[in-house]
Amino acid sequence: MNPVWHAAWAAVRRRKLQTIVIGVVVCAASATLVMALGLLEASAAPFDRAFATQQGAHLAVAFDPEKVSEADLTRAAGHAEASAGPFLQATVDTSTGDVFLGTLTVAGRADPGGPVDRVSVWQGRWATSPGEIVLNRTPGAVGRMDVGFRISLPGRPALTVVGFAHSVTGSADAWVTPEQATALQPTALQMLYRFAHAGTAAEVDAGQAAVTAGLPADAVLGTLSHLTVKDKATSELGVFIPFLMIFGVLGLVVAVLIVANVVSGAVVAGLRHIGMLKAIGFTPNQVMAVYLVMVSIPAVTGCALGTVAGNLVGKRIVQDAVEGFGVDELSFAPWVNVVAALGMPVLVASAALVPALRARRLPAARAISAGTTSRTGRALRIQRWLSGTRLPRPVSLGLGMPFARTGRSALTLASVVLGVMTVTLAAGVTMSMTAYNNAVRPTDTDRVELLAGPPLGAPVMTQPGVEPPAAKLSDAQDESMLRSLPGTTAVLATTQLNTEVAGGTQEARIVFHRGDTAALGPRVLTGHWPDGPGQVVVPSRFLNQRGLSVGDTITVQARGNRTQVKIVGVVLTNNADQIFADWSTVDVLAPGARASSYLVRMAPGTDRAAYTAAVSSGDPGLRVLPPRDGTSSTAVIIISAALVLTLVLGAVAALGVFNTVVLNARERRRDLGMLKSIGMTPRQVTVLLVTSMGALGVVGGLIGVPIGVAVHRLVVAAMAHAGQSDAIDILLDVYHASALALLALTGIVIAVLGALVPARGAARLSIATVLHNE
Amino acid sequence: MQNGDAVVEMTNVRKEYSDSIALDGLSLTVRAGEAVAVMGPSGSGKSTLLNMIAGLDRPTSGSVVVHGSDLGVLDETGLALFRRRGIGMIFQFFNLLDDLSALDNVALAAQLTGTASGQARKRALELFGELGITHRKNVYPAQLSGGERQRVAVARALMNRPALLLADEPTGALDSRSGEQVMDLLLDLNQIGQTLLLVTHDERLATRCATRLIEVVDGRIAREHSMERA
Ligand SMILES: Nc1ncnc2c1ncn2[C@@H]1O[C@H](COP(=O)(O)OP(=O)(O)O)[C@@H](O)[C@H]1O
Ligand SMILES: [Mg+2]
Repeated sequence: MNPVWHAAWAAVRRRKLQTIVIGVVVCAASATLVMALGLLEASAAPFDRAFATQQGAHLAVAFDPEKVSEADLTRAAGHAEASAGPFLQATVDTSTGDVFLGTLTVAGRADPGGPVDRVSVWQGRWATSPGEIVLNRTPGAVGRMDVGFRISLPGRPALTVVGFAHSVTGSADAWVTPEQATALQPTALQMLYRFAHAGTAAEVDAGQAAVTAGLPADAVLGTLSHLTVKDKATSELGVFIPFLMIFGVLGLVVAVLIVANVVSGAVVAGLRHIGMLKAIGFTPNQVMAVYLVMVSIPAVTGCALGTVAGNLVGKRIVQDAVEGFGVDELSFAPWVNVVAALGMPVLVASAALVPALRARRLPAARAISAGTTSRTGRALRIQRWLSGTRLPRPVSLGLGMPFARTGRSALTLASVVLGVMTVTLAAGVTMSMTAYNNAVRPTDTDRVELLAGPPLGAPVMTQPGVEPPAAKLSDAQDESMLRSLPGTTAVLATTQLNTEVAGGTQEARIVFHRGDTAALGPRVLTGHWPDGPGQVVVPSRFLNQRGLSVGDTITVQARGNRTQVKIVGVVLTNNADQIFADWSTVDVLAPGARASSYLVRMAPGTDRAAYTAAVSSGDPGLRVLPPRDGTSSTAVIIISAALVLTLVLGAVAALGVFNTVVLNARERRRDLGMLKSIGMTPRQVTVLLVTSMGALGVVGGLIGVPIGVAVHRLVVAAMAHAGQSDAIDILLDVYHASALALLALTGIVIAVLGALVPARGAARLSIATVLHNE
Repeated sequence: MQNGDAVVEMTNVRKEYSDSIALDGLSLTVRAGEAVAVMGPSGSGKSTLLNMIAGLDRPTSGSVVVHGSDLGVLDETGLALFRRRGIGMIFQFFNLLDDLSALDNVALAAQLTGTASGQARKRALELFGELGITHRKNVYPAQLSGGERQRVAVARALMNRPALLLADEPTGALDSRSGEQVMDLLLDLNQIGQTLLLVTHDERLATRCATRLIEVVDGRIAREHSMERA
């Protein structure tokens, strides 16, 4: 065998622990790298990806079955690149059911596949016989219903949920078999089209013109362009992309740092050995080769294993994180694996090369005496100062240790800082998200929603035999009845009106509030709640999408009335197309309208059943809605993904600390043996080594938390920007002093967890062995 | 402790390593006030013998009793506490901490027992005075000569006034002049009552300062003589 191989192989075998550490670290780093790159790639354009996989519809059109025949539709669809349908489409109002699902658009489809809108069934199965229904739900999302749930609505056939599927284009809220659709009294025929060119609104319009040419003009009941869907998806879910991206970047940096630390440390730790090799006649190049080969053996193995592990485990994690975007079957692009499989060995080689080049130049005599030479002045001054303090000796010795190897300590510190930063950021985003969620959709179990009748100009789809809600009392009587019930603490009366905002392309809805708006209305962020006619407050997204600002006046038009309203404030809501006005404005746009619903807040401890019974006896025409589910499933998915990613990055950071302690303990084993020989207990040795890293943990915490807070501000701002709204205080200022202190402690946790095992190992090492081998 | 009381009692001590037998049923008694010199070829088990007495390693079989306590029943922490108070050790290669000054290296031994650093330094300074190295107290090991380093190591070993001083080839890394000075130092210590067990290769030095000389070959005591010191 060639002497380089021989010496390298011998070194690998003699330093089993170091070899294992390099292997494990490179393995973990490769897996993290694959995951980070995969995350970056997957979060780059999740909607487009999902749309491409599903062959999403560029345009969905609902036709009036009275005006066109199925044959006409099929014929006209020949002008599209691909089409699916016609599918029978029915509208089902679930407000009379046990669970409020809103108004469901149900399509009759025999098959989830096809040339357009290949709906993916991610749980359960497709509906194959009457009485079965499949709900459109984002993969991974959890709701109150599961497979097997029965949706029974008075006067309707009962439907059993047999599966959950997802359509990126949102072609329907639920699917049943075509026969079942017929029984649901369909009101429309759904057609789905793909066009050769559909990148712009004009192209989609041209496509629509082509597929409706020759059909009666009034046959089109409604259309949905993929551009609208994408807009909505990217402003709602796209909010999370900056967050996922930053995790990808953090993973990348942590992986690079830790490998640099471990590999260069291995070479530095071998300086004595290098001197020996030179002394017996190895040329400088051979010495360098020995070291490169020595670290390459475990590094290449670790890289191979890590890349595989990253594809297996990392993919699961990324999949969970991006599932909310409708990416069902994630596969990492080939470049991800190529970069990881080739990039990692290159990284290892360059991390080894720097100290190996130094080793190559080092005179043999200096190399042999390495480790016993005098240390730098600063390290000595610090240790002297520490010696004079009142700290227990193992602690002061430990505190001085990082200064003896500043390069290594700096790299270790950097990985702790990144770990702390990740935790801080993840905690912050979680808190921001919770704050947002609480603000826009209160879960409050103390609220009761009551329907008094249909909102203005929007007839509720009713079925024969089911009474629509119709209040028996007048609006004023209802309100005072509710206020007089025991347990009522606040009442908000609401009605709404669809309007056109002049200059805007999309419709908006004006919501009128009366009563306890401060307690039950949306939160006012800037400006003030309308206090007279002609004033509205809007969500910031409404302003940003239309280029408006507070103080501007807009013209709204509804039911033939047209009026000017002034924007007097910004409110926090989830819906960009809602504007809010005071009741006084109702009289301008819809004189004499009554409240269509009431929202009541009950005093703590009020019995819901008894209260709703009292409401019903007060006005039997009011319908009590079942309580709403307040949690956002997307938020849950993102928060749990953040948790997993944080744990992974925290563990990798701790691994960096682990490695540093292994190297330090190895270099200092003679010192440690001596300390034990003069009576240092194993526990004191452990304290010494753990303290040396604990110090880095404290500093890492102090540096990492502010950086994490700063990055959080950037990420939240980017998230708000992606959501076309403004970053507001309740989302930005989420860190309280106690939370910050706790987060700073994570630095110590990472350091101590990483240090404990090797420190205890070093403390238990037999002194006789150490002294014998020196 | 009275002169003549047994400080060390080793009975039938056997120590095997994976590929060698370091001690092969060795028995030895050291009494208070003695200065025992251990000689023998390299690899014969001398260092192992010292390690057994210091509790740095455990015998495969046999018992080691030092100052009346059976080391076999102590756990690692117990052994460490025992060493702090009962044993001072000096090594061939000094084993000083490179990043502590000479004075701090010595004070360290007392600080481990919980002595305040001011008091520890005071005691260390006294020892520096006695050993004639006061002027080197703020110097780091790398700048000290071999002889000076070994004096610092001796001072450290004496810090906690141990009843037993163990020295493993304390002059092995020194030139003959410094070696002699260190030996003189140990002799002086013994003359004021310090019990001493030292391993050395130098027969001349051994005969000069030991009250008893034992020779270890293949892990057993091959020869033993008591003597009058020159
Ligand atoms: N920690 C150890 N591990 C393995 N073998 C050892 C160890 N310590 C000593 N030995 C072996 O035990 C024998 C005696 O060693 P030692 O006591 O160091 O001899 P001496 O000090 O007389 O030169 C030798 O063969 C040595 O290789
Ligand atoms: Mg020896």
